[in-house]
Amino acid sequence: MIGTVTLNPAIDVIIEINNLKINHYNKVLNAHTTSGGKGINVSKAVRGCNRETIAIGFLGGGRGRMIEEELRKMGITTNFWHIEEKTRSNTIISDKKAGQHTLFSEAGPKITEYDLEMLKSIFYRVMSQCSVVTLSGSLPRGVPVNIYGDLISIAKERGVKTILNTSGEQFIKGLEKKPFLAKPDLRESNRVFGIKIDKEKDAINAAKEVVQRGAEIGVISLEQEKDIIATRDKIWFAETNYHEIINLIGAGDALIAGFAIALTEEGKNLEEAIKFSMACALASALREEEEFSSREEVERCLQYVNVKRL
Amino acid sequence: MKIKDIMIRDVTGALASCKLADLIGILSRHKITGLPVVNNNQEVVGFISLHDIIRATLPNYLGIINSDSILSEFIQLSKSLKEYSQHPIEEFMRKNIVTINEDDNEVLAADLLIRNKIQRLPVLRDGKLVGIVTLTDICRVLMYNNENKKS
Repeated sequence: MIGTVTLNPAIDVIIEINNLKINHYNKVLNAHTTSGGKGINVSKAVRGCNRETIAIGFLGGGRGRMIEEELRKMGITTNFWHIEEKTRSNTIISDKKAGQHTLFSEAGPKITEYDLEMLKSIFYRVMSQCSVVTLSGSLPRGVPVNIYGDLISIAKERGVKTILNTSGEQFIKGLEKKPFLAKPDLRESNRVFGIKIDKEKDAINAAKEVVQRGAEIGVISLEQEKDIIATRDKIWFAETNYHEIINLIGAGDALIAGFAIALTEEGKNLEEAIKFSMACALASALREEEEFSSREEVERCLQYVNVKRL
Repeated sequence: MKIKDIMIRDVTGALASCKLADLIGILSRHKITGLPVVNNNQEVVGFISLHDIIRATLPNYLGIINSDSILSEFIQLSKSLKEYSQHPIEEFMRKNIVTINEDDNEVLAADLLIRNKIQRLPVLRDGKLVGIVTLTDICRVLMYNNENKKS
């Protein structure tokens, strides 16, 4: 079983219109709501590959129960801790005519010390059912930056491999506890350890530093569809040569899902795992939804992935 | 039909050491009436429902379910709940409980739920909690099966 942790999930409300007019009446062409959050997206991709997954984290209020219901319908097992405040929502206005997307992101709810203690207790129990766990995404208010480090320590105590995919201070702090695989989230800022990731050289240095700081495998996304993967003695360059991308949301999370499946459940070697993960990311990018829904979609994408050792 | 295709894929549980007040909090936020009690390895060691709590905290429980009104016991119930709020749920839970395997079918689930007069049945795989199957889910499945046969 693959565990995923989402501390700050959201309901994504996507509103499609033609030519947004500020201060005016706007007619909505189409509106839909979906559950979001990096860990949740990892679970969706894992489920897309027909593997078992269990999602944990914080949810609150009716929105929280809505997310749970959606996940269970997809076949994802849930064990969320329900908090007093309600889960946040992100509103995305997608202007079809202008081709523009505008995102309104709410701050997360407030998490108390009691909530954190309960989450750790759930995490400890759920780890008895998992072979690997992914720790992804931002932190809601009230959660200390060492949370991922604490969870990595608990997972290690229970013999579970960990994959860390977040940004900023919580990434650096998490690395100190030596996760199995680590990938900084560079969507908000393309800097990590003070290195600005512009060229391949920068990505190689950053990936090496991830390994040096304690991860067995370091992954750095260079730009869309290009990744550098480093271990203690090897460096790989991976890219996809299929460029008709539809939706990049969730592609990075599918990559993480790919690594979780390939490295732990299927025992692939690193080169095969990189190829499989890139194919997962591409399969996700080729769909309107965040994630793909069948293994065949991933298999079809394998041919567009190139992996070479540097 | 296999239980794993019917069950609710939720493994929310509580430890036996969980305090009664905390349990009531979990039940109300999830909007459910009972939970499996698990150990740290997700093995089910009991089940606790609101009725178990009321039964355990009201000494005259059997008397009042046969009487016309609970009003006379209302003050006692409120008093007991306050008094026991910091007690572990281990004191109130049912310990010898029925469970079902995820590979079993809906016929067995219906039998267990109805004969034991329970609403929720923990579902196990290799002895560990993987979901819950409720009487509502079983009724829904049975109804759907019958419609299929008719058409």
